[in-house]
Amino acid sequence: MPEATLCDDVLKVAFPAIQQNAPVCEKSSHFVVPKDLLPAITHYLHTQPNFRGRLTLLWACDHRPVRDTYGLYYLFTLVGSHHWVVLSTELIGNDRLFPSITPHIHAAHWYEREIRDMFGLIPQGHPDLRRLVRHEHWPKGTHPLRKDFPWDRVLGRQQGEHHFRHIEGEGVFIVPVGPIHAGIIESGHFRFSVAGEPIMQLELRHFWKHRGVEKLFEQQTLIDALPLAERVSGDTTVGHSLAYCQAVETLLHLEVPRRAQYLRSLFLELERLSNHLGDIGAMCNDTAYALAHAHCGRMKERIMQLNDRLTGSRFLRGAIRVGGVTRDIDNGRLTEIVEELNRIQPDFSEVGAIIFANASLTDRLETTGILHERTAWDHAVMGVVGRASGMNCDLRRDRPFAAYDALPVNVALYRYGDVRARLRVRGDEIHESIRLIRELRGKIPDGPIANEPSCSPNPGDWTLSAVEGWRGEILYMVMAGEGGRIHRCKVRDPSFVNWPAIQWAVLGNIIPDFPLINKSFNLSYAGNDL
Amino acid sequence: MFRIIKKSLTIGVVTGQYQKGGTPAVPVVPEVKKKAGLFKRSFAIREVDTGSCNACEMEMNALMNPVYDAEQFGIHIAASPRHADALIVTGPVTVNMERALKDAHKQTPDPKLVIALGDCAIHCGMFKGCYAVTGPVERHIPVDVRIPGCPPRPADILEALSELRKGRP
Ligand code: SF4
Repeated sequence: MPEATLCDDVLKVAFPAIQQNAPVCEKSSHFVVPKDLLPAITHYLHTQPNFRGRLTLLWACDHRPVRDTYGLYYLFTLVGSHHWVVLSTELIGNDRLFPSITPHIHAAHWYEREIRDMFGLIPQGHPDLRRLVRHEHWPKGTHPLRKDFPWDRVLGRQQGEHHFRHIEGEGVFIVPVGPIHAGIIESGHFRFSVAGEPIMQLELRHFWKHRGVEKLFEQQTLIDALPLAERVSGDTTVGHSLAYCQAVETLLHLEVPRRAQYLRSLFLELERLSNHLGDIGAMCNDTAYALAHAHCGRMKERIMQLNDRLTGSRFLRGAIRVGGVTRDIDNGRLTEIVEELNRIQPDFSEVGAIIFANASLTDRLETTGILHERTAWDHAVMGVVGRASGMNCDLRRDRPFAAYDALPVNVALYRYGDVRARLRVRGDEIHESIRLIRELRGKIPDGPIANEPSCSPNPGDWTLSAVEGWRGEILYMVMAGEGGRIHRCKVRDPSFVNWPAIQWAVLGNIIPDFPLINKSFNLSYAGNDL
Repeated sequence: MFRIIKKSLTIGVVTGQYQKGGTPAVPVVPEVKKKAGLFKRSFAIREVDTGSCNACEMEMNALMNPVYDAEQFGIHIAASPRHADALIVTGPVTVNMERALKDAHKQTPDPKLVIALGDCAIHCGMFKGCYAVTGPVERHIPVDVRIPGCPPRPADILEALSELRKGRP
């Protein structure tokens, strides 16, 4: 790609001290950067008009026992070319400090705090060094992802209290909510400061559900860890398992048969359909419009039952495997799917028309919970929430995986960034998914559905993989260890990036609208907390 | 207006349109049945998520959709543990959620039932032994009913909940 080599050259000219390494996956470049240069080069990548790098992932890795170093990796997506630039640096020996990039790239905020908690590396100059993943009752010095921390350590308890940001003044009230909520939703804590009705500040406190997923990955082999990936966030079973499998396949140099690629796209779209249908219903329910909720719940249930008939799991668990898929969907079945969707589509269109014709509903949705384009960009927000705020990104189009190179996707894009825009993105994507599945049935080739892995990975090899799940970009970084095991697996659900943005979207809204705004984001707590 | 009525009429009743009886009902010990019998036809549930992957929650939510319509059996979701007759707990108990679970249990008025939903809540599933997980639900609070599955199907959950209240006097 000429464009890509061009950007590599520009970087090398601007920063002669950096050194280029072999790329870790397609459409990417990898540079080793001296530690002190990090803030300058990340700032350059982020702000230069011809780069406009969006911080996509930031992770650390404990290289012991092989080398006595910690690695830090920064992944940027260049907005124009969708090219990936990985910057890496190493902290050698007892060095535990690295320069924070949060002061000029806000999206790094949670990543750096996470690294501090999990590895004990300290981002110097970070504006907020409170604990993130480890709640205050965790004993001092517990850094679970360090290699000398046993995975089955029994944690003690210490005294400690989380200090929330505090707003003072006459008539300012603090409203704490959670971790256990009123509906059937996951656990998380929200703390509102209100003066009168409008929200002045919202602070999130998450990671109640931290299960140690990344550490558990390190106890498994590349092939056996798949069920764990499926359980990172249950509603995104296909997205996570697909992203994980793609990473492993790159490490094993395993080719996936074409038919399996198509079936993977099919499963991903079915997952998107069921979740978007559920979300639209739930958003209407939060405005007390139970009718739409009931209709959407019914349609979602039909897709879930379809999933069950196809694969024996309502969440399509166990449908994808390393090297392909586990079961073939023959052409008769494909026709059955399309027929079912042909029935659902007009049904949904009708419900959609009813929803948007309802003035009182529109009143609740419009101008509620606006996430401005600028805020979305600063937080590197993507996925459904990003596309409702003008972030024109969709990996299915930008970096095609599975069968999307042959199935062009029309990306739904809105600019208002309010709840209604997020509802509309979902509505459009439902129609688009149905269209894709129809197109897919016409194009799917015959052939095998899986290849067996034949070689074992080289210890120390690593790769990245990205999938556009129904929420947004799911990223996996998998590094192979000795004997086919996993040395490090970094999982990033889109929720981790989008959660902080909600703190800005609610400002000025009233608390009764918060459930609605939260539902319109519909982020995963499990995928965030890991 | 007419459109809404027409829609409702053309769709008709969808309740019960699901595959029944996949797995045998969960056995319930007589003492638990006796306890559950107290709640007669109204059964308020509070769901507590202590670290699930959220698929179990999704199935609980599905229970409330028109197809399963658990409300017709008097099962409803209480907004607070203080209004609940039973706690349904999903997920292995993480170190961070341990206190919250015990609190919620304490706040639920007696007599109460505790239902462990899903393999994680019963025996921690894949997360067994991890540093961030303190153990299954029964390590912290007494569990009366266990509904296995990963996640259990809504039909199974419904089956278990009706089985529970069959012995009602
Ligand atoms: S039992 Fe299965 S579905 Fe339920 S929380 Fe655990 S992993 Fe998720």
